[in-house]
Amino acid sequence: MDFFSTYGFLIVSMLFQAMLGLSLYIPLMTGQLSLASPGFYALGGYIAAILSTTVFLPEGGGKWESGTFPIIYVLIETVLAGLASALLALLIGFPSLRLRGIYLALATIAFVEIVRVLSLNLEITGKAIGIFGVPQPFINKFDYVVLALPLLIASAWFVYRLERSRVGRAFTALREDELAAAAMGVNPTTNKVLAFVLGAVLAGMVGAISAHFLNTWNARQGTFDVSILVLAYVIIGGSRTFLGPILGGLLLTALPEVLRAIAGIQGLPLFLSQFLLDGRLIIYGLLIVVAPLFYPQGLITPDLFKRRAVKTKEAGA
Amino acid sequence: MSIFESRGATRRFGGLVAVDSVSFAVEQGEIFGLIGPNGAGKTTMFNLITALTPPTSGQLLFQGQNIVGKQPHQIAAMGIARTFQNIRLFGNLSALENVKVAQHTHTHANVFAGILGTPGAREEARRVEAKARELLRLVGLGESADEKAKNFSYGDQRRLEIARALALEPKLLLLDEPGAGMNPNEKGILSDLIRQIRDQFNLTIILIEHHVPLVMGLCDRIAVLNFGQLIALGKPAEVQSDPAVIDAYLGD
Repeated sequence: MDFFSTYGFLIVSMLFQAMLGLSLYIPLMTGQLSLASPGFYALGGYIAAILSTTVFLPEGGGKWESGTFPIIYVLIETVLAGLASALLALLIGFPSLRLRGIYLALATIAFVEIVRVLSLNLEITGKAIGIFGVPQPFINKFDYVVLALPLLIASAWFVYRLERSRVGRAFTALREDELAAAAMGVNPTTNKVLAFVLGAVLAGMVGAISAHFLNTWNARQGTFDVSILVLAYVIIGGSRTFLGPILGGLLLTALPEVLRAIAGIQGLPLFLSQFLLDGRLIIYGLLIVVAPLFYPQGLITPDLFKRRAVKTKEAGA
Repeated sequence: MSIFESRGATRRFGGLVAVDSVSFAVEQGEIFGLIGPNGAGKTTMFNLITALTPPTSGQLLFQGQNIVGKQPHQIAAMGIARTFQNIRLFGNLSALENVKVAQHTHTHANVFAGILGTPGAREEARRVEAKARELLRLVGLGESADEKAKNFSYGDQRRLEIARALALEPKLLLLDEPGAGMNPNEKGILSDLIRQIRDQFNLTIILIEHHVPLVMGLCDRIAVLNFGQLIALGKPAEVQSDPAVIDAYLGD
């Protein structure tokens, strides 16, 4: 159990980040580079933090003992966070999805900034201090896995099925050639907005659980840095299959701990172990630049599976 | 009533008049040829009909209804399908998926039905699959249904575009140089295919083509464009002997 108490926080964080990767991947299925996920993640977190500290109070008032906050409340917050994200995504989706490529990316970064500045200045979000003491449904951080893992499996299954369904096919057609897809009867606007909304819902739900997980929620959650980080999950993990962002999220979240372990190896020069410990962001940056040179479509590509399938077929024949 | 009618359709790009008040009508069941030298405005005419480019002025009537101002996907849903001169397949999708996409307007499974695999969605998916395979067989690509579209030869890609357009169950089919890049033998097969799909699906076809024997043998009537203007319209033999047409093609 020592392993889980040491690495429980990391393992659950990896699951959350994998889901954020998926939330960016869904709009990308239609060819839309949206970096809005952290904005909805922040929104979801605030909804959970505010509800659990002001509405869902224990009987007779006071505070929840650690580990006693009912899970059903967390689930209600998660659903509400998803709904609120869906509404907001609908609202900003229609105007912003008229933009394409890098312009859409910029507009969504602006959205993330607006959420950050608002939460820094609004009373209800606790201004610069944020919201402290978000009540805990679990005593151990690792126990959050009972929320994070089913949600990750459900969302991965959702995207897996989506890619093989009528709507997912329309998404992919839009990514391949928007004009041709429209000429074949696919409505570009509604499908792009739908993908944007689905991604937002997932990000909002992850935010809601994260607020409990992190115990506190403030304007440093879900900022532009996170946009870039989540984009890195997709670029490095792979942008053509839902497994890419999941793998990217898991790997890159674990990376600092791996670096820490390497830095701890006896006999390394001091500057190198110092760099491995403190140069995390530099190493991320390098990875984002270098990885596409060697893996232009990311670590996982659909062809990877096809080649495997052909091989097993040949072996069977 | 004609199935399609262009009334003074005009499209300007800055100072250039790509299509200059062109009027013609196409009758139900016709194979209608649209020919003319390079830059005559033939593809622009197709783009006007499918709403990829809005006309500057004029009316376009499909089954008596003005379709100017509609979105491309609405035009497709009304029953106008097209192929592209500069092939626009979904390259990373398989041939089968390309044809499935075009059945979008005739299917209804929403996100959740598709993901949960409700009986209705599964039944629909089976129908879509069966129809896509049937259309691929029709154009002679039944064997390579699971191959990515971008790996197909030029001629096969053109045939795949026809299969994809047919999946829309159109009433009016616009073919933009379907025979480009094919050898004479393949063009002969293509002619037969075009006639066959017209009869089988009760289609009206408008065809852009440079290859004169193909056009003359296949089309019921031909319209000739030159510098955006309609300079001749009639049966192939009449058009072929029209001095204005000879002038446009051969110069003074």
